[in-house]
Amino acid sequence: MGSIERRSASWLGIAVLAMASASASGQSTEWPHYGNDQANTRYSPLTQINTGNVQNLKVVWAHSLGTLETQESSPLVVGDTLYVTSSTGPRYVFALDAKTGARKWTYQPELPSDYMATVCCGMDSRGLAVADGKVFFGRLDAKLEALDAKTGKRLWTVTIADYKKGHSITSPPLIVKDLVITGIAGGEFGIRGFVSAYKQSTGERVWRTYTIPGPGEPGNETWKEDSWKTGGGSTWGVGSYDAKRNVVYWSTSNAGPWGAHTRGTDSSDYGIYSNQWTASQLAFDADSGKIVWGYQYTPHDTWDFDGINEAVLTDLNVGGKQIPALLHADRNGFFYVLNRDTGKVVAADPFVTVNWATHVDLETGRPVEAANNEKRPQLGKWARNVCPNLIGGKNWSPMSYSAQTGLAYLPAFNMCMDIANRKEEYAPGKFYLASEFDLGKVGATGSNLGEFLAWDPVANKKVWSIEEPNMWAGGAMSTAGGLVFYGNIEGLLKAVDAKTGKVLWQFRVGTGITQSPVTYTIDGKQYLAVVAGRIKGPPSFFGALGQKMIEQSPEGGILMVFAL
Amino acid sequence: MFEKFAVTVLTVAACTSALSEVAMGDDEAARPVNPYAGDKAVAQEGASLLNQYCAHCHGQWAVQGERPRDLRRLRIRYGDDAISMFRTTVEEGRMDKGMPVWKGVLSDEVLWKIYTFLETVQAED
Repeated sequence: MGSIERRSASWLGIAVLAMASASASGQSTEWPHYGNDQANTRYSPLTQINTGNVQNLKVVWAHSLGTLETQESSPLVVGDTLYVTSSTGPRYVFALDAKTGARKWTYQPELPSDYMATVCCGMDSRGLAVADGKVFFGRLDAKLEALDAKTGKRLWTVTIADYKKGHSITSPPLIVKDLVITGIAGGEFGIRGFVSAYKQSTGERVWRTYTIPGPGEPGNETWKEDSWKTGGGSTWGVGSYDAKRNVVYWSTSNAGPWGAHTRGTDSSDYGIYSNQWTASQLAFDADSGKIVWGYQYTPHDTWDFDGINEAVLTDLNVGGKQIPALLHADRNGFFYVLNRDTGKVVAADPFVTVNWATHVDLETGRPVEAANNEKRPQLGKWARNVCPNLIGGKNWSPMSYSAQTGLAYLPAFNMCMDIANRKEEYAPGKFYLASEFDLGKVGATGSNLGEFLAWDPVANKKVWSIEEPNMWAGGAMSTAGGLVFYGNIEGLLKAVDAKTGKVLWQFRVGTGITQSPVTYTIDGKQYLAVVAGRIKGPPSFFGALGQKMIEQSPEGGILMVFAL
Repeated sequence: MFEKFAVTVLTVAACTSALSEVAMGDDEAARPVNPYAGDKAVAQEGASLLNQYCAHCHGQWAVQGERPRDLRRLRIRYGDDAISMFRTTVEEGRMDKGMPVWKGVLSDEVLWKIYTFLETVQAED
């Protein structure tokens, strides 16, 4: 574990040390990126709030987000300002005094009234990015917008793609030097995914790389006929950036439509039809957008094992060897450790009940599927009791990697499904699944629908777990105070001992939490901020269990800030 | 759209004669007719189609905890107008609430099969 801490200092180091010393001298510590750092660790070196005093946390201010429906925004703190978006559009972008909650400015994006019909899974906004005195955020009508961070005045707006064909932006862009880089959502609408980079100053596009190769490009042969045109591979999650390597890491969604009969052999024996680069991890050269390497988590996907979950970058000491690692807990139930220089898989072990594949072959890098297509739905044929189900072993709610404990913390699901492929025609702007499914099945390990767990990415095993009776548990944030924070759909925000999994403090915020909290200091005082507002879209997929989810807490929209 | 409609109907029912109440409802003669009404085999097929095309918003087997999206309450909400409201909403959409326009995408046959299933799961209260 000690070696893991050392490596952290070696490449994240300068920023981390600067932050730690800032808080010691009574200054301020920012939370400047979605994942705090661009390695997406969601780890904070702050220690003022710790295992010894966390039970004394009190609400110091709160702010209404002004909308209902799923609140998934991860606030940023830059200088003494806290920036946060609301759901539905976003309907609002707020700049608040991070110490008092006093409003600095409010911006209301102008969205068309019909965008909601072409958004998949809830009217969410996962937040924004701040750089060079500007605020950047994506919108559900597939536009990227820049504001003046001081005044909230609009600087530019660019259309990334046509929302009427099912494109939307749900997650914040990534800041890389003078670029702002965004992914795109729409894997359930038959879009062709891409990652696009724009100049921060003007919004002018610098590069766009499609995740699905076109005719003449290597990998296009992995698609049956013209299926690449509507093949999904969207990029609706967040990217990560390794400044030393100048490489951007983005993972890609399910293949589209879900029914694999449209894209290849519709069988575990998929031959050349792996459908690159869907359900994959991609590494891009930050300046040109060229794909450096790709690794496919789920070839010829047909389970909606959407691979967009975040890539967490860290260096691990495995068997005395230092590995530049990329950690990723996939929807398909495997926790991956990849070498981020080569894209080769180092480890892939199930962190929940997995039966669609027996294991991942570390030589070929490919999952070995259950025999005789037993767990693979095919056209007109049900696959029964497939684990995990399509919400995944883990969904988008982010994990955290603690440099202090060397553990990853993540919310997981304990669920299985029945699923079958169906005939369906593509229609622009309409859901395109070619699939029928029943998600009302609890997994193999008890009646709890979810859990929050600690995973050792060196020993490749679960260290502790907290059972969550309901899905879903929210994202994780760890601190050098020996703590991990997360919330759940009942609206309980919890502080947990990062080593033991013991719950040390909890507070009821009144509506469900799916996003991870963040932490920062102003004038030497540490604050904890959480956005709450129960999810509304995904429960529809779950029938009776979905109804149970909705009963756990009302919709809402609140930012709550705590301090000692 | 729904709220406005409901308010209008309530107002009419409460304040005016039975004659105008009838006038506010859709014309019985012009009401669409489901060719599969009551057919159990078709209802089963309809459940599968609903699960394929509608469930991601309205829930598997129309089981849904958010009341405005709950298709098991069409009869309670709209009474005899439920069938007209179903056709109009599916064909014209309610784009500003997330309901797409399905006209030209789903055939009459598919829509009626789905409706045949929905008739079997209407709530009592």
